[in-house]
Amino acid sequence: MDVLVEGFVEAWRLLVSGDEGIWAVTALTLQISLAAAALAVLLGVPLGAAVALHRFWGRRLVLAAANTGFGLPPVVVGLFVTVLLWRSGPLGFLGLLYTPLAMVVAQAVIATPVVVALAATALQQVDPDFRPQMEALGATRARSFAALLGEARLPLLAASMAGFGAVVSEVGAAIMVGGNIEGETRVLTTAAVLATNRGQFALAIALGLVLLLLAFGVNLVLTFVQQRESLR
Amino acid sequence: MTSGIGCRDLVVRAGGRTVLDVPSLEVVAGTTLAVLGRNGAGKSTLLRALALLAAEREGTVLLDGTPATRQRVRTAVAAVLQRPVVRRGSVRHNVASGLLLRGHGRAKAHAAAAAWMDRLGIAHLAEQQARSLSGGERQRVALARALAVRPRVLLLDEPFAGLDATTRTDFVADLRAVLDDPGLATVLVTHDRDEAAALAGCTALLVDGRLRQVGPTSSVLDHPADADCARLVGFANVLSPELTGLRRTVVCRPEHAVVSAAAPTRKGALVVAGRLVRIVPLGGITRVDVTAGRDGDVALSGLVAGEVPAPLRAEEPGAAVSVSFAHQHLRDVPA
Repeated sequence: MDVLVEGFVEAWRLLVSGDEGIWAVTALTLQISLAAAALAVLLGVPLGAAVALHRFWGRRLVLAAANTGFGLPPVVVGLFVTVLLWRSGPLGFLGLLYTPLAMVVAQAVIATPVVVALAATALQQVDPDFRPQMEALGATRARSFAALLGEARLPLLAASMAGFGAVVSEVGAAIMVGGNIEGETRVLTTAAVLATNRGQFALAIALGLVLLLLAFGVNLVLTFVQQRESLR
Repeated sequence: MTSGIGCRDLVVRAGGRTVLDVPSLEVVAGTTLAVLGRNGAGKSTLLRALALLAAEREGTVLLDGTPATRQRVRTAVAAVLQRPVVRRGSVRHNVASGLLLRGHGRAKAHAAAAAWMDRLGIAHLAEQQARSLSGGERQRVALARALAVRPRVLLLDEPFAGLDATTRTDFVADLRAVLDDPGLATVLVTHDRDEAAALAGCTALLVDGRLRQVGPTSSVLDHPADADCARLVGFANVLSPELTGLRRTVVCRPEHAVVSAAAPTRKGALVVAGRLVRIVPLGGITRVDVTAGRDGDVALSGLVAGEVPAPLRAEEPGAAVSVSFAHQHLRDVPA
């Protein structure tokens, strides 16, 4: 019990004193997770739209695969991305392994199925006559699609939030493809694992608290936007 | 060149089945064509095909007499689909959205929206959320949104569906005023012949995806081309030569059929013997259903104002009755 109390006290001191190490790791975590979530949204929303709006062979397969992605173990993603980027692997020549970019790629792989599945559901909930009606008013296909995205912006925002949530908290892929190199690829989750292994519980708790605050802060902003919109 | 919309050899298939086959149709500017048909007859399919929205479409949609391209249809045509799809946001935003979707500026879109909201009696709802509106208000929003783009061709799919009688009457009156625009060609899809009579100079009858009759509304509603058309425009009593002994099939509206328990004595009337099925009070009027024919397989019905006369009222289902049809209300149709 003492360890826990002391841990929280020390964690609080670290946070209040503005420990440089913690804030550097936090900044990198934000950069990587936001980039991965953005990439997942850029890939996932069009793919989710294709699944939701078109009938093509293998459509249900894609949707089932995306739904499976909800439970995709980050370690498995980390393993495959590592093998792909390994020096002798098919993409080894890119020299990306143990870089932040590799972490972004791996985390995007984790988040994309989540965004695809939720975006498909979001767009399927809009009236099927929405796009025909917009085109019947003179909209081009591109404009009617943009209008559809606008119509479903709240659930699409929720899909983005879920995508961010899936990556900011994962540790398996980050540690495998990033290598947890201090100052380069060390993020909040991998740093917390290392600190725990070393018995630096105060530091681990501080990192955990920052991680929680970060996830809460980003989701708080998005929730405020969502709720303000839903009242309109 | 004729201004307006039409089609040539328009065929739409769905699931390998032909659901619409219209060799020719033309609606010129300044006129309204009502397309009358039962549920599933292909009315909405025709409307969507004319708006180039139907997927498996063959043949040609004509705009101003020449084959229509998507680009030309986008600028000339506005359609209001059957369920009024309103967007998230205010009524003002919704009514302006047609012009915004066409790439016009906000100022122009909102000025046009204000004018049409005023004209269709929804100006007081401008700041309300469109999704919170009643069915009739939504229909008005959808119509104002379509009219705000100043289309040369207006396609309306059942604009009065699901509205209560008072709302419907008011809306019909407002729409009537709009459709008088000499530059506007309108296609109005409906299953209600009263709406056709109120709004359209011409009426087309659509049965099983095919146009069976096209002509001036008064003529189409009073002189159906065949038995299917007759049923569609309310001539529910279709009397074959076997039943009447006449040379041709004749049809008559229920409101002109008199069912009586006594032996018929009416002069100048065609009388058919039958058996009473049921008497249905419909509030202000009463419908009497009868079967006739050798096998009792011909359904006839008569409508009377108020209650049915006492002698008939006392009869049980299965009782022998006679149905008389005054000759001036009978119409000949091909067998």
